[in-house]
Amino acid sequence: MDVELLFKIAAIGILVAVLHQVLVRAGREDQAMMTTLTGLVIVLAMVVEQISDLFNTVKTLFNL
Amino acid sequence: MNIIQIVSLSLVATILVIILKQYRPEFSILISLIACIFVVLFAFEKIQTIISMLNDLIFASGINKTFFEILIKITGIAYIVELASNLCADAGEKAIASKVEFAGKVLIVTMSVPIITTLIETITEVI
Repeated sequence: MDVELLFKIAAIGILVAVLHQVLVRAGREDQAMMTTLTGLVIVLAMVVEQISDLFNTVKTLFNL
Repeated sequence: MNIIQIVSLSLVATILVIILKQYRPEFSILISLIACIFVVLFAFEKIQTIISMLNDLIFASGINKTFFEILIKITGIAYIVELASNLCADAGEKAIASKVEFAGKVLIVTMSVPIITTLIETITEVI
């Protein structure tokens, strides 16, 4: 699960970067911003899940 | 998941971060965060065995258990604070990183107050 997530995020990042360039060249800066933001939100959703997993592990392990 | 996977994962993540740094810097931070979390989770599984072994040792030797729990808590805080401050420093936010470290130090000192008080009591008894 873990390595795929890393590659998934990288793929989304590269895709968003390319889309951003294409849309900017096509003169639609607002849509470019929108795609970047949506890509970021998707990736953040995945990352937040991992962070909560880490914090739960820390809580149980070190009984913080 | 052994050490070779860990090393390869972190190298691949570093390369991905560099690729994405010039186009979308925010994604590069997220990639390094995910890589750090995976490596730390892998290490925490190993720490579990160490802590249970130490627990048995402390329980068998009859030393005061609360000190050991405080020590474990302090190491937990240290790990997390170090992870957060390095990630913030990587992203270029040195101020946030130093504040996280400062808060971590303050928490560690507040948690170690009971240990310090018992230490001083034992010393005064000796003198």
